[in-house]
Amino acid sequence: MRRLARIPAALIAAALCTAACGTGDAVDPGPVASGQEATPPDDRLDLDATANVRAVLEPTSLNLFGTAGAALDQVLLDNVYEGLLSVDPDDGDRIVPRLAESHTASPDGLTYTFRLVSGARFHDGTPLTAADVVWSLEQQTAPGSKGVYAADFDAIASVTAPDPATVVVSLRQRDTFLLWNLAQRGGVVYRRGTDFASLDGAANGTGPFTLAGWNRGATITLRRNPDYRGARPKVAQVVFHYIPDPNAADNAQRTGQTDVQTAADPTLLRPFTGGGFTVLRGTTTDKYTLAFNATRAPFDDPDVRRAIRRAIDKRDVVGAVGAGTLIGSAVPPQDPWYEDLTGIDAHDPGGARELLARAGFPDGLAVTLTVPSIYPRSIGDVLVSNLKEAGITLTVRQVEFQTWLSRVYRDKDFELSLVDHAEPRDLVNFTKPGYYFGYADEQVREWFAGARSAASDAERDGLLKKVARRITEDAAADWLFLNQTHTVVREGVYGVPVAQTSNRYDLSALAVAR
Amino acid sequence: MTRVVLRRPGGVFGLAVLGLLVVGGVVSYWWTPFDPRAADPARAWLPPLREGHLLGTDRIGRDQFSQLLAGAGGTLVAAVASAAVAAVVGVALALAAVLAPRPLRASAVGLIDVLVAFPTLLLAMVLSAVYGSSLATVVAAIGIGFGVGVARVTRAELLSVLGSDYVLAARASGARTGRIVRRHLLPNVAPTLVVQLSLVMALAVLAEAALTYLGYGASPSSPSWGGMLHEQQAHLAARPLLVIWPGVAVAVTVLGCNLLGDALRDAGDPRAVAAR
Amino acid sequence: MTWYLVRRTGLLVLSLAAAGVLVFTLLRLLPGDVAATIGGLRAEPERLAAIRADLGLDRPLVEQYASWLAGVARGDLGRSQLNGSSVGAELGRKLQVTGPLAAGGVVVALVVAVPLGTWAALRSRTAVGTGISALAQVGVAVPTLWLGLVLVLVFSVRLGWLPAQGFPVDGWADPGAAARALVLPCVALGLTEGAVLLRFVRSAVVGVLHADHLRTARATGLTRGRALWRHGFRNAALPVVSVLGLQLAALLVGAVVVERVFALPGVGSMLVADVGNRDLVKVQGEVFLLVAVVLVIGFLVDVAHRLIDPRLREPR
Repeated sequence: MRRLARIPAALIAAALCTAACGTGDAVDPGPVASGQEATPPDDRLDLDATANVRAVLEPTSLNLFGTAGAALDQVLLDNVYEGLLSVDPDDGDRIVPRLAESHTASPDGLTYTFRLVSGARFHDGTPLTAADVVWSLEQQTAPGSKGVYAADFDAIASVTAPDPATVVVSLRQRDTFLLWNLAQRGGVVYRRGTDFASLDGAANGTGPFTLAGWNRGATITLRRNPDYRGARPKVAQVVFHYIPDPNAADNAQRTGQTDVQTAADPTLLRPFTGGGFTVLRGTTTDKYTLAFNATRAPFDDPDVRRAIRRAIDKRDVVGAVGAGTLIGSAVPPQDPWYEDLTGIDAHDPGGARELLARAGFPDGLAVTLTVPSIYPRSIGDVLVSNLKEAGITLTVRQVEFQTWLSRVYRDKDFELSLVDHAEPRDLVNFTKPGYYFGYADEQVREWFAGARSAASDAERDGLLKKVARRITEDAAADWLFLNQTHTVVREGVYGVPVAQTSNRYDLSALAVAR
Repeated sequence: MTRVVLRRPGGVFGLAVLGLLVVGGVVSYWWTPFDPRAADPARAWLPPLREGHLLGTDRIGRDQFSQLLAGAGGTLVAAVASAAVAAVVGVALALAAVLAPRPLRASAVGLIDVLVAFPTLLLAMVLSAVYGSSLATVVAAIGIGFGVGVARVTRAELLSVLGSDYVLAARASGARTGRIVRRHLLPNVAPTLVVQLSLVMALAVLAEAALTYLGYGASPSSPSWGGMLHEQQAHLAARPLLVIWPGVAVAVTVLGCNLLGDALRDAGDPRAVAAR
Repeated sequence: MTWYLVRRTGLLVLSLAAAGVLVFTLLRLLPGDVAATIGGLRAEPERLAAIRADLGLDRPLVEQYASWLAGVARGDLGRSQLNGSSVGAELGRKLQVTGPLAAGGVVVALVVAVPLGTWAALRSRTAVGTGISALAQVGVAVPTLWLGLVLVLVFSVRLGWLPAQGFPVDGWADPGAAARALVLPCVALGLTEGAVLLRFVRSAVVGVLHADHLRTARATGLTRGRALWRHGFRNAALPVVSVLGLQLAALLVGAVVVERVFALPGVGSMLVADVGNRDLVKVQGEVFLLVAVVLVIGFLVDVAHRLIDPRLREPR
């Protein structure tokens, strides 16, 4: 019987673990700070500091022109590279001047004139002139451009430089999105004649930071640009640490290995609610979108799609991931054309059954959801439970993201799909004929085109509101929630970006106390 | 042999654990106290023995005991099927590497060498990317991955048996290969094989947990302990109990498989019995 | 002996070639490609086709394989399709983390397994021996992931002795910092390995203890421990070393988990990320090199065996 002694041993080991790990009670996010403390004057700051920032996704290349991925924007945009304009996510997505100190539009909306700032230089020392801007925009508008965002600029007829400090952009037709698009990655100004292939692991921008090193698989280091034309950054160095695992990131922040933890897991904020840390909450553009394959029966019937929308209690989904905002459509609250549409096909299992019966499925329905394995598994379980109440049997199929890209996105071989549409202002996806949603509505397309060439922003916003309402009424997709992002900041660190931190991360105000 | 196994506490414990797994798996097929995957956010984070939840609930209110019960089936299938795949792969490759005509034999030996060096992880990644993450892809990857290891050991055993006097005698008396394999080779390698397979079963349970953690495990539709461990590990510090249930389940199962293997080895090896 | 060397070398080359084909073919089964990673969700089919053409992905597979093989034969593992970095150089950098991690793991495993296993064998009928065996059984059964998480919580978060995650930005420039970063990962990796190994050590030593030559040695008046020390260890070491060799390939999965838990920039994390991005030239270079290393070690061990063990030599 001696050997039976082994069984309690296993249990003792487990108990020891309990004792060692300790217990905590509530894991719900504690009080989230309403704002950051004001940055103290320079004499109380450590201007030679290195700030360590945890980020999740590492860029696959540093070629901002030709390689997709928000991870590139996060580290490079505004910090290393600059465009004529920029966007301030912490100020309601206001478009702010950057390399252009001012801009004017002609009354017919077909000519935009940009006046460049003086003293801007590339990191290699070359002064920036209007010719660089013209060249950069021409790389986007050239036929067969390799620019990721080249399609944003198809309204541009020509770009000219009447003098070294002025750029004139002429349009074929009005484009109310132009300024926004110029403030994104597509509007970045490169040195004239840059060979983009050489930017895979290097950078030559005009921003307040230079690229000091990329330790692939671990870190990217940015260093203060001593020749920057404007206010110089308040830290000497910023190191982005790419730590995908939420627990490892938490431990790094708790033990002081990082000063700032972006994208903290909202269910794991407990250690930071005591002293020594501030937790900031910001909005994002991450729309967790449940797509229906509208080209395939029974999802070609709007009643079936609406039944599924009614069956899902979005609050349960938010509960499963820890934090989120209900949006009810593809438009987040920070967009000027936002409207609260959560009332359309709100949670109503009984109503869902009725709709299903009307669509010819009184005995329910069996459907399959294809979801990339990077999202929390608990979302799938909540959906299964929710849909079961409405008589729908859901099977969740987890696939690798690349498999999702080829099977669902490219080949449109799916019934339901769940993916985070993270791009800002992407209503256009509901107007693309071949898009994987399979949603086609002539009226929506017309409104959207009208919005783009509208005479005023008010007219544009009115039309886009109509688009958003129509796609919601048609149940072109279901929007489970808009992600909220949590940033944990160590005491004594100031000027941390709060909103949309995975899309752009302007470090120019980041400061560390002495 | 069975009797010898049953005479050892380790063997009894191992068999009992496997028996519990079978019972749990079968029962959970028809009945669990709650739907193991039913999310009930209103009843999240319940401690054990509250509102009928024997082991409490997790962050979205899933009953942990039901999950554990339902996971028993998946875990059992993962363990047994991995061992079965490993056995087939291992024995087939080993026999080919010993008995096949000369050129084929050499290539079988080379293949074993290459496959042993080949990372199982890559196989698991490719299979789950091609076929979607499921228990089957995990089993295939683990089975093949460990199977080549089994092949290597079994080949060495086969070679020593082939050189033994009685096989030489049987060959001299004109016995056919098939008969020699059945009568002499397989029975003689069986004890080592069984021990190895019990080890494979144990390692398969662990490997399934590791693969799930890396995102290449079974899909959430088939509950497994690896999946539970993966989902709850983030809350280890705050809610250790949630990690401990599946952790202990995995540990006890692995322990059971190992002890059973030890008992089988002792049962098959009279020397080991004498040594005690 | 020369004939054996020639034959064994031929076998090695054939195995390497087979490994190359296997790696290349297996990876081509993966759905999706690197063009989708570069182009992103916005890329239209024409743009994706252009990216493929740029990278030479539209060439016949045989041609792609041949050009890759030609590179490998020259010692050039190619370049990443995503960012043009040299696969060989990148692997070298990652091995500076994973190499010491694996080696440290093996050292921890041996330090745990050999003394405890021997002790358990010598005291196999006592409470101590049973206790050690029980501990080993439990050790085998504890998932590495769990162990890593607990180690971090205790030694980094609670006690603050060692870094919780990561590897110094400047690598081994400060050897102390780099070594400290690897202590917990090595222990997490090594304890599980050690528990597996302990059982083999114990049974190997038990086997040797009953061997004839050891009985003879004891008959000459040596104690059990001394007899084992003088005559038994070499014999017990052989099976243990071969088990250790078998574990090497399995070590990678463990290493990947540990690298993930501790956010270490090692070969395992790189491999997983590269498969996810479909940077296949990089993946096949990495996997091929890993397989080649194991095959070459196997080759060297075989040749060494042949030289050392007189029974394996051909009759002259």
